[in-house]
Amino acid sequence: MSSDSCWRTLRQSARSLQQTHLSELLADETRFEALSFEHDGVLLDLSRQRFTPAILDELVALAEACDLRGSIDALIGGEKVNRTEQRAALHTALRTPAGTEVQVDGEDVIPAVQATLDKMETLITTLHSGQWRGFSGEAIDTLVNIGVGGSDLGPLMACHALEEFKPATARSIDLHFVSSMDGSQLSGLLSRLNPATTLFVLSSKSFTTIDTLANAATASQWLIDASGLPREELLRHHFIGITAKPDKAAEWGIPSQNQLLFWDWTGGRYSLWSAIGFPIAVSLGMQGFRQLLAGAHSMDHHFQHAEFGRNLPVLLALTGIWNINLLDIHANAILPYDGRLAHLPAYLEQLEMESNGKSVRIDGDPVEQRTCPVLWGEIGPNAQHAFYQLLHQGTESVMCDFIVPIRRYTDQNSHLQEQHKLALANCLAQARVLALGDRALAEQAESAPPWKRYRGNQPSSMILLDELTPYALGQLIALYEHKVYTQAMIWQINPFDQWGVELGKKMATEMLDALEQSAAGPDFDCATRGLLERIAARGDRT
Amino acid sequence: MKISIWGEELAGWTACAQLAAFGNHIIKAGSSLTPLQSSIRTEPGLLDALQQAIDSGRMVDSNQQDPYSADIHWLAMEPGELEQASEIVARIAASGRPQVLVVNQSNLGTGASDALQARLDSDLEQQLVYLPDMLQGGQAMQQFAHPAAVLLGCENEQARTRITALLRPFTREGTEIRLMTRREAEFTKFAITGMLALRLGYINELAMLADHVGVDIETVRDGMSTDQRVGPHYLAPGCGFGGHHFTQYIEGLAGLLTQSGGSRLLETVLEQNEHHKELPFRKLWQHYHCELRGKRIAVWGLAFKPGVATIESAPSLRVVDALLAQGAIVQLHDPEARQEFHALYGDQAQLLYCDSPYAAVQDADALLLLTAWPDYWSPDYSELHQRMREPVIIDGRNVYDPQLLQDLGFTYYGVGRSRH
Repeated sequence: MSSDSCWRTLRQSARSLQQTHLSELLADETRFEALSFEHDGVLLDLSRQRFTPAILDELVALAEACDLRGSIDALIGGEKVNRTEQRAALHTALRTPAGTEVQVDGEDVIPAVQATLDKMETLITTLHSGQWRGFSGEAIDTLVNIGVGGSDLGPLMACHALEEFKPATARSIDLHFVSSMDGSQLSGLLSRLNPATTLFVLSSKSFTTIDTLANAATASQWLIDASGLPREELLRHHFIGITAKPDKAAEWGIPSQNQLLFWDWTGGRYSLWSAIGFPIAVSLGMQGFRQLLAGAHSMDHHFQHAEFGRNLPVLLALTGIWNINLLDIHANAILPYDGRLAHLPAYLEQLEMESNGKSVRIDGDPVEQRTCPVLWGEIGPNAQHAFYQLLHQGTESVMCDFIVPIRRYTDQNSHLQEQHKLALANCLAQARVLALGDRALAEQAESAPPWKRYRGNQPSSMILLDELTPYALGQLIALYEHKVYTQAMIWQINPFDQWGVELGKKMATEMLDALEQSAAGPDFDCATRGLLERIAARGDRT
Repeated sequence: MKISIWGEELAGWTACAQLAAFGNHIIKAGSSLTPLQSSIRTEPGLLDALQQAIDSGRMVDSNQQDPYSADIHWLAMEPGELEQASEIVARIAASGRPQVLVVNQSNLGTGASDALQARLDSDLEQQLVYLPDMLQGGQAMQQFAHPAAVLLGCENEQARTRITALLRPFTREGTEIRLMTRREAEFTKFAITGMLALRLGYINELAMLADHVGVDIETVRDGMSTDQRVGPHYLAPGCGFGGHHFTQYIEGLAGLLTQSGGSRLLETVLEQNEHHKELPFRKLWQHYHCELRGKRIAVWGLAFKPGVATIESAPSLRVVDALLAQGAIVQLHDPEARQEFHALYGDQAQLLYCDSPYAAVQDADALLLLTAWPDYWSPDYSELHQRMREPVIIDGRNVYDPQLLQDLGFTYYGVGRSRH
């Protein structure tokens, strides 16, 4: 069957199901059984989606018609799936165990991947044993990650999520993350930190990211001012550079022994598995970091080998396709019911929207369908007090991803265990009300005034983890990565480039000149000219 | 009197020797009649005195005689051995022997003596007194024989009479016996140790400051000690204090203070002390502009203090670890502690164990003095200078005269003596 005919079938199914409320679908007692799927401790429950098992089969047929299988093999096999930049996208290779071969341009990349892991381990052993010394000879006890986008969101998200898995040796190292180009985070930090014991990790794939280099320049000057020592000596003991461009890092002043390398074929938003994950490894220890990789690898293997009808990333992606392209839903809320996953929404915002926020197909033609929806989120229980009103009674249809672990605080006091139970209860209750509306109530709700009515019918997926561990987080992130790739393949777009962010950077350089000279270029538009004039007139006032 | 002595602490062995010398019959629990720990074996006068006790037949081991047949039991257990002490006391109670006296000289924490007393049979007038262990390694025999004062935790008149009699040979010069409850005596012991740690911590902090403001802490210390309220004791600045018990006691006290009062005072002292142990390394690191790879560094003194063979919590451990981690070659000397050090570190390519102080400084880029062994105080400076590749001396105990060393062509760094 061609993909066109698959789409036709699906559109027909969507039409015939249009008037069916989720509560009617949920009346089928076999539905949970039929629409929940498990892999290696991760449960994906799709029974609150507005489709039937038969429609899911049609979606699977679409995936097959789009040669998803071939695309997955191409991705994991190291083909240049990032066509616009002519390179592979091998985040899967970063978590492939030693001994397997993955060829890129005729070269096996796994030995280099393992070599970087080994070098990370060496540096981390030195740090954890208190033998990484700053300029005064004191042991480094603070690590500041300077990076933005993929060099920030992944490590920040994972470190926060897995804080409790810190081994005793790692507790002596405090971690901080600095990303914003305006120096807001850095200026506050520098006033509190001890320069003699602070190590900066400079993470930039290109080593030209202006946000990161601006923060790094401020940090290195802070060290020079505090120590009175030459820059070169300070960089040797207070900076680690993580990059795909070692020559650029060396030019900036990072000596090769302090460089951790990754490669062109690692996309920024797919890079937490690479040396970019260094802060995670410092926090978890290498053993914990390897657990994270192992969890992701388990999902990679599943993605490549499981049939689509029980393939978690494929099913999650197809659910999205159904909601976006067949049910016309263009908002996706990420709702973790676990405070440790506070930074997951921001992480997934980048992963999904930077990957699939595209409107041109790989062949250069404009897409004919909508692609990535608007994605946002918040810790579920907190979001209940913020934007759930819109989910329950607003005019927008929103698909929700609920993410929650079953067990938490198992080695702690019963009060905390009760608190987790409370969160779990809220998670289940909200998913239920979103689906059923006030039909969830036992008594008749029709008599209630209109503003107290709940229409329901908001679709949601439930991702139930046994426990949040490094391994489980690895699985969860890989699940979303492959979901994104699957959707991109169906939409025929390239999820691995981000040309849309380039022009703004270029314009900013021009604008900086204009600000410094207090003069607008002749070809600036009137809005820009107006703003520049006002800034020039009022900027000098203190 | 017939006395059983339990535990492997220095206090116990000293008690064996001293009590036997005055006619008591000693049963040393365990199968060895001489201490195995090297730090105790090196205690001046101890081994000879023990040998005399054995030769005279006044000291036997517990294979030769049942320790529970004694009238007095002397407990000199390690701080972690409360459980073992409890078992011994329970067996004494079970033996049904009346009027047994237990002298607890172990530092098992505040309240431990009361807990032990509770296990004894008071109907049989079995009593326990707490006699704080005030002995310093290196002077234990002398201090036992001629105590400046005796603190005694004792809440029973009969027990007081018996312990006073037992100690009479050592207190006959009119030594004062301060009587208090067992709990108070235990707390006093804790409090003294904490006070000493505070003094050391304070002088070391001052030394760091002296480095910054450009004064010699040794001069300042001399001045300070002329004030009677301050006095001269425990004010020697140096690269941190060590020793198993001292550190362990203070850790115990720091833990109590934090738990019950939220006080971080002693915890801070301990943290700063750990930091201070690396001071010689930091001076070296800064001298060589943060690069020590391939440098040869001589280390004089591994023991935590002169006169002992033990390296537990010694600054040498942290300094050598740091040097090894930086890729330096370390040439070690210590008159007594080399063996214990070797047992811990073994043979490594970066470690050279040297037989003489001068062998250790051969081709060295610096000499770090970490323990103030008498052997090191007055070296042959010209030989030193000649053997060293770079004449850099980092004096972690302030034993050398900065001016003299400077005149002799050495680069000298002390603790808190920034001008030199």
